[in-house]
Amino acid sequence: MSYYFAIIGTQDNPLFEYEFGTSKQGGDGQPRFTEQARHLNQFILHSSLDIVEEVQWTNGQLYLKVLDKFFNNYISCFMTGSGAKFLLLHQPTAGPGSGGSAAAASGLGGASSSISASASASSSSSSSRNSTSIGANPTSPQTEEAIKNFFAEVYENYTKAIMSPFYKVNMEIRSPVFRQRVAAAGRKYL
Amino acid sequence: MQPHDDAIKAPSPTVQSPPMAASPVMPGRAMAGPQKPRPGASSMLLTTTHDPLSQSEFALPVRTNSASRRPQSASLFRSTLLSNATPPGSPRSASPASTIRSARSPARALTGSIFAGTAGFRASLLDTGAGENPGDPLNLILKSFVPHVAIHASQDVDELVNLKGFQKGLWELLRPFGERVTGKVNVRDSNGVSKSWEDFSVRFSKFGDRSNISIDTGLGVTSPILDKGEAAGSMDEFRVRQVEQVVERHLSFAEEAYRGTVEPQTPTRAGLDIEATSPYYALYLRRLLSGMPLASHESFTHPVACVIAISSRNPNPIEALHRLYSETTDGDKRYPVWVDGDYLRYYVLVHDEENSDITKSMALFEQMKRNFGLHCHLLRLRSSESAETDDDSIPLPRSDWMTAAEELADIEESDTREDFEDPTRHIFESDATAIRTFVREMVTQSIIPTMERNIAVWNDQVASRRRGISGRFMSLSKRFTFGGSSRSSTTSSSSNYDMAGFYRPESPEAIMRRLADFAFMLRDWKLAMSTYDLLRSDFQNDKAWRYHAAANEMAALALLIMPQSMSSKTRIETINTLLENAFYSYQTRCNSVYGSTRCIILALELLRLRGGSGIDEAVRWGIRVLESRLMGNIGDALLKERMAICYASKTGAGSQLWGSRRRKSALWSVLGAEAWMSQHKYIQAQKCLNEARKMYSLLPGECGVQNFAVASDFLAYLNAQAKEGLQVDLIQFEEDDEGEGHVDEENEMFEGADNGNSERRPRKTSLINPIGGSTTGLGLETAPLQGQGRDETAGPKQDGFG
Repeated sequence: MSYYFAIIGTQDNPLFEYEFGTSKQGGDGQPRFTEQARHLNQFILHSSLDIVEEVQWTNGQLYLKVLDKFFNNYISCFMTGSGAKFLLLHQPTAGPGSGGSAAAASGLGGASSSISASASASSSSSSSRNSTSIGANPTSPQTEEAIKNFFAEVYENYTKAIMSPFYKVNMEIRSPVFRQRVAAAGRKYL
Repeated sequence: MQPHDDAIKAPSPTVQSPPMAASPVMPGRAMAGPQKPRPGASSMLLTTTHDPLSQSEFALPVRTNSASRRPQSASLFRSTLLSNATPPGSPRSASPASTIRSARSPARALTGSIFAGTAGFRASLLDTGAGENPGDPLNLILKSFVPHVAIHASQDVDELVNLKGFQKGLWELLRPFGERVTGKVNVRDSNGVSKSWEDFSVRFSKFGDRSNISIDTGLGVTSPILDKGEAAGSMDEFRVRQVEQVVERHLSFAEEAYRGTVEPQTPTRAGLDIEATSPYYALYLRRLLSGMPLASHESFTHPVACVIAISSRNPNPIEALHRLYSETTDGDKRYPVWVDGDYLRYYVLVHDEENSDITKSMALFEQMKRNFGLHCHLLRLRSSESAETDDDSIPLPRSDWMTAAEELADIEESDTREDFEDPTRHIFESDATAIRTFVREMVTQSIIPTMERNIAVWNDQVASRRRGISGRFMSLSKRFTFGGSSRSSTTSSSSNYDMAGFYRPESPEAIMRRLADFAFMLRDWKLAMSTYDLLRSDFQNDKAWRYHAAANEMAALALLIMPQSMSSKTRIETINTLLENAFYSYQTRCNSVYGSTRCIILALELLRLRGGSGIDEAVRWGIRVLESRLMGNIGDALLKERMAICYASKTGAGSQLWGSRRRKSALWSVLGAEAWMSQHKYIQAQKCLNEARKMYSLLPGECGVQNFAVASDFLAYLNAQAKEGLQVDLIQFEEDDEGEGHVDEENEMFEGADNGNSERRPRKTSLINPIGGSTTGLGLETAPLQGQGRDETAGPKQDGFG
């Protein structure tokens, strides 16, 4: 299970990017993206802004849950008041799920039964994950709750970070402290 | 002039100015490049001097998308020519996007993710005008599910036609004429409402031709290509692969043709054309659909009628007709048992205008009418071959609907044989008129009335009994018979599903399937849909999975085409269920690559035309196909390109265009470019990249993925690759005729890159930089490279577009 987290500004510009892996179930917190997946992640994240722009008007919450899926990549979103978006891309298996070469393992769509079936199938093939872990089923309530907590903590830190008098809108966040705190939130919840 | 005349003559004007109209790939390209007199590329040039022999028709089939063709050869490519012929700027009522766009209210579009675009569903797709353009998927679907007419001609007819230059007999001569029946054709639907269609067509097939019989249903049907022992799936897959091979040949020809030019700007400027279908994709669809196998589980390819033809030269005409008739009922060549033998026989007397006496023929014709009833026709043809130079000769186009196997055979022949002769034939205007009249008369006066009558009878006697309460009860009681016998034995005894895996043609299920197919062919969507719907459950109970899949597939297609008042949400859900069933049955239960591919691709196209949330669904199904790896590399790349177009045709609302999918579209374009690149199809890749750039530049911020370091690096890398590829092609062409070695080397590089983990770096060739200055419109607004993780080889190239 690997995560790619990005804060996107109002001009489709990334303000902050961070890749990490799961720390649950004995994960070491390292991302397991292949070299190819790394650029693809950015493309996917960027493309799901289309969906964000659409869903943000129909959903009253700030946390928009999983709103997009591209092959084996799920995108969760959290809106902030200033129009910046938190996007988290999560890849349930550490497998080959990237772009066109994604494995045929997963069933598509909202049918949670097919997803959980495929998730359990893939988790049995991968090493230590089991189907009840947070990552294995991206649309399960536990996962959504965990991601929500993660977003909430990041949001708090983000708000504090941009309170800096030197910060302007759409400026990249370079603060090492912020990065550390995001990492800590990732370790804590995901 | 009749519409059909136009259709037939269409190629010639197109060819006069071939670069503009014929080739969207490279519009307006001057043919001044270094040209080798190699066979494959020979006839591309009109201007250069080379061996006249090599100007023979040769590699024509591959040449569809090349820049220029000789007039004769172009007629072969009427299909692709026509689909490309409309210049992008022309008023295109067929544009699916615009039609639906206007029909949808902004408020609806906002709720896009929750199935927007209700208005798009209110009308039948046919009324939206989406199917008018020959290359359009809807048009292709309409033209592919058409009545099949078998042609069984006597020896003397074939001899006569051979004299005219058609080696494959009457079938070859008639085939192009079936593709558009002249004038309006009136069809009465099950409610007695008559509707007329301009573009009705029939497909002529050769009687006794077994090459397309699906072997899945066994029963003594042997395939010429594979042993019967082979799994049905492999034969099936073979069909799909063949289609891809054809497209591949066309593509590589375009690449090859491109090398002969020195004006690389032209092709690289063009993006994907959203309004018109890409010629390659249209070709893919057409070949996929034209290869529909003769199978037991659907009756589209079963003959609706059979033309029995003799000529005036025959010494014993009536006897010959009787013999031919009996051959269609019980000869070696007759259709497999699961084809209903009770199709219409249509008797044709071919009169030889030059050698026979017309009064005799008339007398014979009268006799035929007395003997065989009204389904007779006297076809007057000249027996001599028409030359191109004759005043009244017109070129006969090749069939649009030749199968992939046929086209491949042609291409291969042209590759291997030096003396490949011109496959274009010319016929006399009078002959063409006679044949058109014949086809029209046969279709309007015999075939359609027969089909209508059959529909009425079957609907009355079989289907309506099933529709009523008692019918439901019957099927229930059939399933759960009383008594102590075990369930399995009762089902096997009461089911009409044969042990050999098919329904006998006289069983109610088979009749209803035919009823539904006939209704579909006559475009009575409602009747077709309701009948397929009945059949679905029957087939499921009988566990006839192939039938089940096909019924689900067609039900979904009919539902997508017809207008309906159902809310679009329930409707999309219904369609999804149907497709899901069809896909699962085809894919998992029957292992049918052809079935599942056709089913999803067609549904995807129709969903796209429905607009709104249909587009999201379309892409979802597309991803499904990609995930299950049904298609080969070419198909994958085509599909990715198509996904981009799907998303691009979704338009948003308001000034910010909320609900549009530009970023998604761009993403798929990039994926498509990557896929094309890995197959060295640089022109296509470049088009995808241009499209991606266009989409990104339309975004509010106008910067696309520019600020994403790795992504924009990758985009720049792709751009560089495309530029390099296009240039290398040029240089390579000058240096080395074949360029094989280089291609291999590239191949390895790409394989490596595709397997991931390997470093993405531009390949090192000495050819990278030299042709400077030719700004190929590349990498214009790609992001500034961040320089990270790129090695020195990237250096010189960055200068090219920095």
